[in-house]
Amino acid sequence: MSVKNILVFGYGAHGRHIAKGLLDDGYLLKIVEEKEENYQRAIEDGFTESVRIDMSSDEALLELDPQSYDQVVCIMDDEHYNVFITLSLSSLFPELSIVAISDSIHTSSKLKLAGASKVIDLYEVSANRIHNILNRPVATQLLKDFVMSKTGISFMEMEVPKGSFLHGKKIDEVDFSCYDVLLVGLVDKSVNVHSFEFVTAGHEHTLESGDIIVCMGEVEKLRNFKKLLHRKIDLCREVKT
Amino acid sequence: MNETLLTIARKLHNSSRYRKAKLAIRDLLTNPQNDYKKYFDLTIVFLIVTSVMILIYEVKHPVPLWIEYYDLYFVSLVFAAEYLLRLWVLNDVSEMILDEYRDSRFLDKPFRAKKPLKKAFKQKLRYMITPSAIIDLLAIFPAYRPVRVLRIFVLFRVLKLLRYTKSINQFIEVLKNKQFELYTLLFLLAFMVMTAGIAIYVLEERINPNIESLFDAIYWALITISTVGFGDIAPVTDEGRTISIIIIVFGIAMISFATSVIVSAFSEKLNEVKESRIIEKINKSESFLIICGYGQMTKMFLRQGHSKKKDYIILEKDSERVEAARRMGYDVVHDDASRTEVLQRFNTKYAKITLLCLTNSDVENIYITLTAKSISKKIEVIVRANAQNMVKKFEYAGADHILLPHDVVNNMIHIAITQPTMYKALHAVLTGKDAAQIYEIHMHRYSDLAGKTLSDIDFKAFKLLFLGIHRNGEFLFNPASDTTIEHNDVLLVIGRGISLEHFEEIHRGVA
Repeated sequence: MSVKNILVFGYGAHGRHIAKGLLDDGYLLKIVEEKEENYQRAIEDGFTESVRIDMSSDEALLELDPQSYDQVVCIMDDEHYNVFITLSLSSLFPELSIVAISDSIHTSSKLKLAGASKVIDLYEVSANRIHNILNRPVATQLLKDFVMSKTGISFMEMEVPKGSFLHGKKIDEVDFSCYDVLLVGLVDKSVNVHSFEFVTAGHEHTLESGDIIVCMGEVEKLRNFKKLLHRKIDLCREVKT
Repeated sequence: MNETLLTIARKLHNSSRYRKAKLAIRDLLTNPQNDYKKYFDLTIVFLIVTSVMILIYEVKHPVPLWIEYYDLYFVSLVFAAEYLLRLWVLNDVSEMILDEYRDSRFLDKPFRAKKPLKKAFKQKLRYMITPSAIIDLLAIFPAYRPVRVLRIFVLFRVLKLLRYTKSINQFIEVLKNKQFELYTLLFLLAFMVMTAGIAIYVLEERINPNIESLFDAIYWALITISTVGFGDIAPVTDEGRTISIIIIVFGIAMISFATSVIVSAFSEKLNEVKESRIIEKINKSESFLIICGYGQMTKMFLRQGHSKKKDYIILEKDSERVEAARRMGYDVVHDDASRTEVLQRFNTKYAKITLLCLTNSDVENIYITLTAKSISKKIEVIVRANAQNMVKKFEYAGADHILLPHDVVNNMIHIAITQPTMYKALHAVLTGKDAAQIYEIHMHRYSDLAGKTLSDIDFKAFKLLFLGIHRNGEFLFNPASDTTIEHNDVLLVIGRGISLEHFEEIHRGVA
């Protein structure tokens, strides 16, 4: 996993918890806070790169240069601030990808309007987790493990490179299990960049270079497969013939 | 005499048939959970309704003889039998006699059957003077045709219906709480009516042609004080009219007082009555959820869950939140979930209960968890923890699942950052919003599949993506196709709901 830079707004009750989790996962974080108390706590907790700014000033925000980060996360305790910062940032940098948390439906829709690319509703996801525990206990635990790659099995997204052996093949023609990976779904660039589709949707799909495929498998095998994608010849087919 | 009673009591005590029959009848008559009680009740209601219909019909029409016999003998006979049976199953006289005999032997006293008999008789008598027993008794007396007034006894049969209507019982229950006020009112009313009645009788008996007796005078007073005022009797002297003015004013005051007493009794008790109905209803269900606390999380949970029909009940101790939940139409009980008595009201013995502790206070959640677990270990507890350091405490308290909202969000942010493309799909899978989801196929439900190999199941044909097998706590990812399926395996697949339904249909059909 490549190390990514993340700009985190807020180090309150939510922020502290999430920031620590992200740090454990090996991300580089920069914390932005307004309150002296929270700022001090961030420093104490080891986030030495933290800064304290006046959030209402555009200059201060520009100075942070959010565009140089891979991701901006708004997790302040006060939802008004979350909406405000999201709005300020997206008006200053329209291309910026912002993840924000919200704690009610009303805030969620406001954050969407303000320009957040992803809104995570604290209670919505938690409530969902309960539904999942009630209805599908095994799958819930496993899915969590996949995502956090605890069992060594994980998801990986990869782009079909130019000249790959996958180019021009139908999904059924490729034996993914030979590589010990499982094709879960794909994004067809020619249709819509954001439309992820599960393979089980049942469409006859022809792979092209530029498509993004999502595979599942052991991390090692996935990496290996990603390398093999550049080849022109399907290794498995060669063995058989 | 004593000896004979003792032998009879012994015989009855030793006869298992007698005891079984008595138990069965007692159950049928008094246990609302009895399977046959419904039919018994319906029969009685049918008899009552027909009996009343005959009464109304025969006012103007002659009725055939067999219907008259049916009303006169059959209905009365059934009611008499019911009355006697109720009286019989009330207590066990034979047991009481034997108990007394044992006690007297123990104390080396001469045995006297009089004492237990007296006690049993007293109990029966106490039952006999309860309103429902009196109604039952009066309902037996058939409408003796020649004396028209006696036909009114049929109306007691209507009153018998009270036993079968819960709402009226609850109405009486509510009024019982205002017993003192209502009795005071009744006493005042009686006092006023008597005083006014006597006054008018003394003042106008000779002058007013309509007032002939004290009964007429009291009748007039009641009609006037109730503001009904038929007008058949009216005062003719100034003194009489003055009395009228006084009791009319007094009557209006009393009616408004009575109304307010009843209304306030209801507004106090209405929610309680409603709540006890909700609890009664949910206790009939085999498995249900008890949700503690109506906060953001509960709101979300319910909003997402309305499609999945699972019985639930909310416990909330804050009255404002209870109101909010009620406005949304949720089943909510205004009570404190951390109290043992509150949780004990639920059918904890037989139903499969899942308790969701979703209040925003960890202390409260822990307390509720402990309360639930102390009542029954069988109650499954899913608890919300707000801080990481609480997890250990919840584990110690016995919570089955601990949920950290921050952790879940952390997870989602993680996905959003590491797998931007998958985020949408995974979000959909995790939140169950989209068409495709991860499903579990529990093999023990498909007897025909155990022992077969994976290649025997054509997942592709069902448009399902097979991920792996969860076996004995371990996950086998994408196992080889010649893997044998075991009885307790859980197969994980990704696909749409209809695909899974199709799969279930086909493979259960084989079994």
